[in-house]
Amino acid sequence: MADIEKTYLKLARINTGGGCSNTSPAMLFITLTYLICVLSVPLYQPQKLIWLAAYPVAVSEIEGIGYGKIFIKSLWILPLVFFIGIFNPFIDTAVAFRIGNISVSQGCISFISILIRGLLSFQSVLILVATTGFIDIFNTMRKFGCPSVLTTQLLLSYRYIYLIIDQAVIMKRAREARGYGRKNYPLKMWGQFVGQLLIRSSQRAVWIHRAMDARGFDGTMPTGHSLTWTSRTWVWLVAWCSVIICLRLIDFSSLIKHFVS
Amino acid sequence: MSHHFIRFTNVHYSYPDGTEALKGISLTVTHGERVALLGLNGCGKSTLLLHTNGLLLPSEGEVNVGDVPVTKNTLPVVRRAVGMVFQNPDDMLFMPTVYDDVAFGPRNMKLPEKEVDRRVRTALSAVGLKGCDDKAAFQLSGGQRRSAAIASVLSMEPDILVLDEPSSNLDIKARRNLIDLLKTFHHTIIVATHDMEMAQELCPRSILMQDGRIIADASTSEIMQRI
Ligand SMILES: Nc1ncnc2c1ncn2[C@@H]1O[C@H](COP(=O)(O)OP(=O)(O)O)[C@@H](O)[C@H]1O
Ligand SMILES: [Mg+2]
Repeated sequence: MADIEKTYLKLARINTGGGCSNTSPAMLFITLTYLICVLSVPLYQPQKLIWLAAYPVAVSEIEGIGYGKIFIKSLWILPLVFFIGIFNPFIDTAVAFRIGNISVSQGCISFISILIRGLLSFQSVLILVATTGFIDIFNTMRKFGCPSVLTTQLLLSYRYIYLIIDQAVIMKRAREARGYGRKNYPLKMWGQFVGQLLIRSSQRAVWIHRAMDARGFDGTMPTGHSLTWTSRTWVWLVAWCSVIICLRLIDFSSLIKHFVS
Repeated sequence: MSHHFIRFTNVHYSYPDGTEALKGISLTVTHGERVALLGLNGCGKSTLLLHTNGLLLPSEGEVNVGDVPVTKNTLPVVRRAVGMVFQNPDDMLFMPTVYDDVAFGPRNMKLPEKEVDRRVRTALSAVGLKGCDDKAAFQLSGGQRRSAAIASVLSMEPDILVLDEPSSNLDIKARRNLIDLLKTFHHTIIVATHDMEMAQELCPRSILMQDGRIIADASTSEIMQRI
């Protein structure tokens, strides 16, 4: 549990930039474009993903976050994508190509493809959070017609996660204190534990909503600065979206081959 | 027009599951009074407090804050006048930093950012949290969280301060600071508490509740003798 807490703390603190330069409102849309481009690359062509890595590298350097920092944080997603992709090499054993006498299966290629995809997607999201900040991301969504019920829920979900972890830790301790060192519990008890956890967490969600209402919440998270779309925002948006779409559509590998030969 | 008094007239409230939590509450708290709300767990203290700023609306009867009846339409006015500190400070701290939490109310009031900043700094230094503005709520100690929750209400500069068991889970020193802080607040205070000493020191008047009803409303020393 302590590990979850630590990871969460780090995640919650990634938004250190304070956000809101006049380019940040565009970042949400740029990130969406990027995600669509990354996820639409065919599974068996991981080489095309390499070119798309140019975006996170360039933006994180331009915005002064540093790609190294983003890259290291993005490694947290690896265990998750690892489990999503790990069975591919075993299921899909058709040979794709051979290097010397080692044969590389299609499954291996799709596995690697999933890993890179996961890393790149998560990097773009980390950059979004670092440049724009949670609150402004959701305020941008709201500005473009997303209902406040949804944006508020999303925004608070990162606070709720902490509450749920908190609640789970308390309940786990309470259980251990009365369990006399017992290590494993029957499945039924786990069911009750999770049920209790959900009830308690939702009760706290009710109180948090009351607390927000009590202080005049009207559906938009107040930030103290307004999101303004200047001409610079538009330039930034159009420029990055074009770059990303070019990276996705133009086959630079063959182009380079063509020029070299 | 004064917002500084609260009047309950025969207020009943039932929770959606049918629990009848308030069974005919009538009381008036006037300007500048400090009142303690006493009673065993489950007697309806929190439910009563939630009615003071319209977080719950009575099933029957009426609540008035100053000249304003508490209804759906008057909520913005009522909530500016009545600041409420919940029993669990964690419920009140939901923004990324303490500063943002304390600024949440003033910013919702659409005050200019300079005024917001002034209010946040005043509130934070009043509760002794100067220098904690950039921390996240979960990096604070229990006592500091309580102080941050109180600051988040003080920054709205309410006319009436309502607190639900504010001294629970506080150590001796934090509790002392809290009492001293509340003494400096010269407007109306209603405080639900099990802390008899705090009630005695802070509140000349006490209201004793039992099972959704008021069973005694007198000076605190008189009530002390009864229980
Ligand atoms: N959300 C709820 N739904 C149903 N019943 C509730 C709810 N909250 C409180 N109650 C019930 O209402 C009664 C009064 O509760 P409460 O006002 O919290 O008492 P106190 O604050 O004095 O401990 C209790 O019987 C409690 O079980
Ligand atoms: Mg209570």
